[in-house]
Amino acid sequence: MSSSTSSSENRAWGHWLATFVAMAALGAGVIFALVIVVDPYDSGRFGSLGIKGINDESPRTANASRGRDPQFNAAIFGNSTGQLLKPAELSQATGARFVQLTMPGTGPREQFAVLRWFVRHHVHADALVIVTDPAWCTDDPAMPILNPFPFWLYSDSDIEYVGYLFSSRALGRMKRRLQLAAGLGRPSAPDGYWDYELLAHGDFRPAPPPDEPDGTATGADSQFPAIERLAGFVTSVPNAPVVLVMPPIIASDLPRPGTRGAARLAACKGAMARIVAGRPYSNFLDFRVDDPLTRDPKNFLDRMHYRAQVARRMEQRIAESLRLGNAGPTSF
Amino acid sequence: MLFNDYAFLLVFLPAALVIYRLADSHPRSRIGVLVGLSFVFYGYWNPPFVVLLILSITVNWFAARAFLATKRAGFITGAIVGNLAVLAVFKYANFISDNLASLFERPFWHFNLALPLGISFFTFHHIMYLVDLRRGKAPDYSLGRYALYISFFPQAIAGPLARWSEVMHQFGRQVYTPGWQRPFAVGVTFIVIGLIEKTWLGDPLGRVLDPIYAQAIQGPVTGGNSWLALGFGFQVLFDFAGYSDIAIGVGLLFGVQLPYNFNAPMQSTSLQDFWQRWHMTLMSFLRDYVFLPLSNVKIGRKHHRLVQHFSAMVITMALCGLWHGPSWTFVGWGTLHGCALVVVSLWRHHGPRLPSLLGWAMTAAFVLLTCVIFRAGSIQAAMNIYRGLAELPDLERIIRAAPIIVSALCAFLLPASQDIVTRFTERPRNGIAAALGLVAIAILVELGDRDAYEFVYFQF
Repeated sequence: MSSSTSSSENRAWGHWLATFVAMAALGAGVIFALVIVVDPYDSGRFGSLGIKGINDESPRTANASRGRDPQFNAAIFGNSTGQLLKPAELSQATGARFVQLTMPGTGPREQFAVLRWFVRHHVHADALVIVTDPAWCTDDPAMPILNPFPFWLYSDSDIEYVGYLFSSRALGRMKRRLQLAAGLGRPSAPDGYWDYELLAHGDFRPAPPPDEPDGTATGADSQFPAIERLAGFVTSVPNAPVVLVMPPIIASDLPRPGTRGAARLAACKGAMARIVAGRPYSNFLDFRVDDPLTRDPKNFLDRMHYRAQVARRMEQRIAESLRLGNAGPTSF
Repeated sequence: MLFNDYAFLLVFLPAALVIYRLADSHPRSRIGVLVGLSFVFYGYWNPPFVVLLILSITVNWFAARAFLATKRAGFITGAIVGNLAVLAVFKYANFISDNLASLFERPFWHFNLALPLGISFFTFHHIMYLVDLRRGKAPDYSLGRYALYISFFPQAIAGPLARWSEVMHQFGRQVYTPGWQRPFAVGVTFIVIGLIEKTWLGDPLGRVLDPIYAQAIQGPVTGGNSWLALGFGFQVLFDFAGYSDIAIGVGLLFGVQLPYNFNAPMQSTSLQDFWQRWHMTLMSFLRDYVFLPLSNVKIGRKHHRLVQHFSAMVITMALCGLWHGPSWTFVGWGTLHGCALVVVSLWRHHGPRLPSLLGWAMTAAFVLLTCVIFRAGSIQAAMNIYRGLAELPDLERIIRAAPIIVSALCAFLLPASQDIVTRFTERPRNGIAAALGLVAIAILVELGDRDAYEFVYFQF
């Protein structure tokens, strides 16, 4: 091979490499520009096309849109144990405009992220209903999460958010929002409500509860770092009415009186009640009790997911709490 | 740091290329820079294990020097035993302890040790060099060059297991000489094809198969899902072949041609053929450093030679299984393959010649069926999969199996990835470069889903 041929071939391979890099850069640039302009999660960052609504079945990402929606001024937070509370029912009973921001499979850390997001976008919230299941009673200050969660979507940092836009998930959401803009596809329910009973199969038959060691029947040594953080958060929103709700479970699964589990749960409930004690239009509702409603398996889908008739009763008590504050009901 | 991480693809690799480009014109700094980059790559996962890697390199290099100075084989034997002992402590101590506990019905030690990444690979790299040094085949190398042989980041974590004779002479060569562009283009093509194998052909199978294998641990596998479970053979193929191809591509960007590791193994027409095309660098190591010594050592009388030969075959494959993980299922998998190799070997000498198509079908069936043992985690779970094969999958499940079908077709029909790369790069075609650039971006987008938020109902 002559040196001129060799040199021209080297140049050709140089062009090959330049083409590879240029196409990759061009592709990345186009994708990035599109996701920035469309705002795939409707998080209110950068999007300049003004597309209304989302089509997103995952509350973990959909709540970025719902949590900043100005048509709502009150919200329900929690995990699946708060899912069946109907925002429409609460809105009708209280006059506030409720949105469902519960997220299945989440704990305090994820719920804090959404709480802060909602408050950031609603300076004057009419009501915050926080379904504080026993995950909030953890003694682990790290508050480990069970499933991956997009904290970056609810972050204060736009740079952190942008770092996660280059993904097939973001592109999928972008495509759906473009379809919505074109009149194709159905937007997700703006108030975030969906009924898990639609997916239920058969009746619930409670299994015998596991044996529980008696241990020491005191909860005095209990530490509740998540509840301490919640107390700090509630203090930071002095004007918002706050109702904390301990959701029900089938009564046969409640810890036996006198056990360490029962003592710890009682201490946890006490810590929650203290957060809202004396606060106007705020209350702690304890539905994790032995009650005719919680003794009947027909009222449950499984050991911790109650059915509609229980949810309707809880909604009434929440509405009364928002009207009467600490003078309102304490349970069913 | 994994090859399919953003940390590697968007930060470490570009930074390493720039740094090495600067070092390239300084011959004395090239090896040192690559060793430094390799330690950074290795330490990203667990910094303290860099100390273990450095110690391992230093001790073995001094053992080699001591042998060369004294010609006492004890130094080599001691170093090899030491390497295997370190591997045994980190990888097999709890396995040994659990078995002793079962045997003597009393508890033994239990270590909570993290397994140093790539320890099996760098142990074998040491052994290959030390054995060849004692045989008089390997020369003396400087500490820097030896350190790079052990730690060279494209191959350090998961191979390919390169012989010292394949790579040592390539270390420290100037990369950016006239004509550097073509090897670079070949390297880029290997990386993109490796990412396709890993991200589009391997990973989607995991999403289908993981729940099935989880079900097998719990109890019977129903609804014909067992048939899908056979797809694990394709998952492990594209996962590992993809990783190997990325390693080869990255090696080329730093002027080092690593050996190929897979050669379209699912197209093999016999089990012997399969093992010459699957994880080729490991099998070459096992052949030369385990099987041949076991087979050639003089034990017993001459007419026992055949028994010794076949026993060596089974033992080698059982060790191959054990190398993959400290579990009896891996040993069982390896032993099954060893026994099958004996049968195939006897058939080849004494049985009728099988049509290629039949040989291919039998080989593929055997490999896919035994891969279940490899993946299941326990004999019980594997049996749950096998029993489930009595039930055929329905149409809905076959649709769910689309990723498996795509991967299977690629494994059965496409040429080996190195042949595809050769065709893509036989002359500079900008259309291919543009397509690869777009594919690379599509894969980066796919890799951008660093965690999963989709919620499957009732995983409360």
